[in-house]
Amino acid sequence: MTESDLIPPEVADRVGTVAAEASGHVVRRDWQRWAVAVDDLNPLWFDPDEARRHGYDDVVCPPLYLQYAVLGVTPLAELRADGSSGAVSGNLAFPRAPKRMAGGETTTFHLPAYDGDLIHMVRTIASVEEKQGRSGRFVLVTWRTSYRNQHGRLVAEAETSMIARP
Amino acid sequence: MPYFDDVAVGDRLPELAVVVDETQMFLFSAATYNAHRIHYDKDWAREREGYPDVLVQGPLQAALLARAVTDWLGGDGRLVTFSVQNRAVAHPGEQLTFGGTVTALHGDAGLVDLEVAGRRGETLLMPGTATVSLPRRPGEDG
Repeated sequence: MTESDLIPPEVADRVGTVAAEASGHVVRRDWQRWAVAVDDLNPLWFDPDEARRHGYDDVVCPPLYLQYAVLGVTPLAELRADGSSGAVSGNLAFPRAPKRMAGGETTTFHLPAYDGDLIHMVRTIASVEEKQGRSGRFVLVTWRTSYRNQHGRLVAEAETSMIARP
Repeated sequence: MPYFDDVAVGDRLPELAVVVDETQMFLFSAATYNAHRIHYDKDWAREREGYPDVLVQGPLQAALLARAVTDWLGGDGRLVTFSVQNRAVAHPGEQLTFGGTVTALHGDAGLVDLEVAGRRGETLLMPGTATVSLPRRPGEDG
């Protein structure tokens, strides 16, 4: 690992460890609220008859919603000054790089998730690196995440990243 | 709804054109339990982070891009892998487009690779890739 001004040693020490674990139920109303916010009125998310006609047991959770099913609550006093919550990313702090932006996400979906499923997420800090970009130095954090259902079966796996800039 | 047998490399998905406004952004932040000020506090976005306006959530852009794919898939196709990068920011009121192009076919598995992208005019906001599973046309191969 290279010497870095932007990455505190206590953060560097956490690479390879579990950043967060969380469990939550998949709730039809919640994914439908999300879908409406995307203006995504796919009948698979809304219409049980249509979903069954295509081989599903019932309406299914939109794949990209799954990550939100495990979110818990963050007390107001624990939010960062910019309003963001670090609860599911391990609360990594970069005092010298406080501006945070989502980097990217790659997710593989193995199984559908249904209303009432209990999803258990395990998120590991895969890497924390300082990089040089066109607009200056930044920190790239990468997490690997698994989502399993109440039967222990893998529903999805994801690799997500975040950029923190001075 | 496309069948695997009808898809060819170079085929383009129907493009989704969207103008995101503050109401949609508010609902998306609510639905994703996201209190990040950069999506609703214009003073914070301008004075603390140096943007001209609040930012459309990256996950909302990703969700719109995935919608362009799943709208094309119909009920019998399935999104297998979805990968995107946040390349540039977008603001409310801008005309955004989301689409994709078929880049490879894997006949043994019935899988189709796509290059996907969210754009504002010529500006690439969100490049990515997706792999989808498509059904065979009934009777094609037993």
